[in-house]
Amino acid sequence: MTARRTRPSWLGVAATYAALLVVTAVVLYPVMLVCKKAFEPGRQFALSASPIPREVTLDHFRALMGAHGSHGELLFLRHAMNSALVALATTVVGVILSCTAAYALSRFRFPGRRAGLTTFLVVQMFPASMLLLPLYVLLDKMSLLNSVTGLVMVYATTAIPFCVWTLKGYFDGLPRELEEAARIDGAGPWRIFFTIMLPLARPGIAVTALFSFMTAWNEFIMASTFMTEETRYTLPVLLQSSVGQYSADWGLFAAGAIVTSVPVMALFYVLQRSLVGGLTAGSVKG
Amino acid sequence: MKTPARHRAQLRDWGAATLVALLIASAVFFVHRNREFRAREEGRARAAALAVARGEPPVGRVDLAGVVSPPRASAAYPFLRHRSFVEAGGDGAARELGGPCAPAADKLVYDAAGRFEAEGAFAGFLPDGSGRVVAATPTEGGVAVAVSTPPGGPDAFPWLTLIGVLGLGAALAGAGSVMGGAARPLGLALGASGLAVPTFLWGGALPATLIGLVALGVAWSAGRGGTDRFFGALAAHRTALSFVAPAAVSMAVLVATPFVVGLVLGFYDHDANSWKFVGLDNFAHILSGGGKAFDDPGNFWFVLGVTVLWTVCNVALHVTLGVALALLLRQKWLRGKGVFRMLLILPWAIPNYITALIWKGMFQSEYGAINSLLDLAGLGHGVSWFSSWSTAFTANVVTNTWLGFPFMMVVALGALESIPRDLYEAAEVDGASAWQRFHHITLPHLRPALGPAVVMGSIWTFNMFNVIFLVSRGEPGGSTDILVTNAYRWAFERDEYGMAAAYATIIFLILLLWTVFGTKVTRKEAAP
Repeated sequence: MTARRTRPSWLGVAATYAALLVVTAVVLYPVMLVCKKAFEPGRQFALSASPIPREVTLDHFRALMGAHGSHGELLFLRHAMNSALVALATTVVGVILSCTAAYALSRFRFPGRRAGLTTFLVVQMFPASMLLLPLYVLLDKMSLLNSVTGLVMVYATTAIPFCVWTLKGYFDGLPRELEEAARIDGAGPWRIFFTIMLPLARPGIAVTALFSFMTAWNEFIMASTFMTEETRYTLPVLLQSSVGQYSADWGLFAAGAIVTSVPVMALFYVLQRSLVGGLTAGSVKG
Repeated sequence: MKTPARHRAQLRDWGAATLVALLIASAVFFVHRNREFRAREEGRARAAALAVARGEPPVGRVDLAGVVSPPRASAAYPFLRHRSFVEAGGDGAARELGGPCAPAADKLVYDAAGRFEAEGAFAGFLPDGSGRVVAATPTEGGVAVAVSTPPGGPDAFPWLTLIGVLGLGAALAGAGSVMGGAARPLGLALGASGLAVPTFLWGGALPATLIGLVALGVAWSAGRGGTDRFFGALAAHRTALSFVAPAAVSMAVLVATPFVVGLVLGFYDHDANSWKFVGLDNFAHILSGGGKAFDDPGNFWFVLGVTVLWTVCNVALHVTLGVALALLLRQKWLRGKGVFRMLLILPWAIPNYITALIWKGMFQSEYGAINSLLDLAGLGHGVSWFSSWSTAFTANVVTNTWLGFPFMMVVALGALESIPRDLYEAAEVDGASAWQRFHHITLPHLRPALGPAVVMGSIWTFNMFNVIFLVSRGEPGGSTDILVTNAYRWAFERDEYGMAAAYATIIFLILLLWTVFGTKVTRKEAAP
């Protein structure tokens, strides 16, 4: 079936298209339901079968944007700011702390290099949810629950190894000739790194930064465990609480899901080729 | 004057040993001092409260002290409780605690009376970090409560003692170095272990022994040239190590600390904010199944079985679906390849907690899309997805398959692209059937790329917290929980922190075994 057939039978062609169309429909269906729910009036029904809205309204978006907290603050704006602040800070911390290490792991040979690489890989693969309890106990002791600083520290545990691995992959692909030329001209390692390698690695750094931003933006379980005050929620916690056990507002959820995920989905589509490369490079060489 | 090399080496070794010893000594000192401080402050507050209970003015300095009455229901709102308060050393008139312009300390006194009724007499630091202590003891007509004033600054770190010990140590180490031979390590050991003496006085035998062992170890390895080699490597690779340092140090702080704390907590039992060392009890309890039957969701082995089944089902579905779609998309005559690929990776682009919540809505029994569709197709009516194990598990698997297959598809597509077309042409010329071509050309080329992807995918699925937690919530009765969600419940629903930590340790060991095993297998396959 994989062969290059000069004249495929019409049956094979029809079956292939049919299969692809069915799978595509299954993939699109839930997404269409969410879009329908976001624009359809009424909050109480769950996601029901027909993907076509009966009438169109922007009420859910208005309700989402206009929700007020107990002190009159705009809640959605607060949550969006929290999410953005946490994701941005995580990204900055992750990239700054890891770019020198990634370069050293790519270029230098030193004792402990292999062990370091393995540690970074293991930490990145093992989910932070295993550290959930000790982190909770520690943050509680340091009064960092419900604090953006605390959440950034928690997210950095996975962001740093991720940045180290992807940036190392990028440095591996950069030519060594420039560095050698600079070394012959008498530049020291720090100078080479800051004036030559860092500017060269700018595209790699940008991609890495965007991915760690996306990861932090999409994180749910840590945020819901550590941010329990309503004004401290990030967007994922807001969305989950909007369809909680006892009261569910699916219209609000759908509107919120669209507003929250469309930017990161667009980002994902722009970056997806590099993501696949980075992931498989990391796992094969590890 | 130039110091001879062996003196320098000797003093450097001594410096390293001293640093470690100094760290131990300082830690011990602060722990010891804080313990003393706590005992003293609590004693002060307790004495004040006892004095108030006897009807005397409070001894020592207090912020507020007096007798609090038992609670009475408020006339206006029966659920509110009022207490009245007679300040010690005042005019003896009772006033109501709280109210619009009451002093801030009223709240402390009110809460202390409540805590006294729950726990009996107590003395303890206020949780506000001010260093004040509140104490309560029983008395006639209520509770005697005293809130101590914040203490002055704590005792200074004993710099003078330390400087003296350091000087003596340096002199010993230097003397050993001048004498040479066996006196070198001896001088080192004696010098560094000098710090054990004040440590012994502050904190007891254990840390002092620790310091002695450090000193002996350094002296022993210095005698054999070990520290020279270590410092040599450090100096030779100092550029590389300083590049790695920021990430390494932050990982040590941010990951190693909670990791070690998690390991340690597994040996403790947590109850009402106090920790008790219980050794291996938690692990024994978990691994023995907690006295539950094998088909009980409270049994670890049941949860492990569900987790393994969950992982195997999902990975198998992801790989099958992903490879099948990649093979379809690879057909040369196919039109709209790019559009199909773009639409098919949509589930990967959507944040997975949103996917999970969407499917939870679709599986809802009354208005959910799945039941409506089943109804339309005449296949079933009003299925209550989360009230039986098999349907709830199916709902989870469907959700996770939907969100997980695009990754495998993209990996498989990448691997297929690397197969040279000539191979197929040659095979066709030789008369190989479609199945033979798939089995002998496609499969061997897919394996090296899919191997690591399967290992990674299995780890992701094993830990797929969000789907289980948001779609089935473990319903019915926790039976669809996997290990990570079960550990979460131990921690945050049952407040059994010790058990939760032990659970996490066991999960970590399972994953470690699987990763080691998985990478070995894929390495073997990757190297033909």
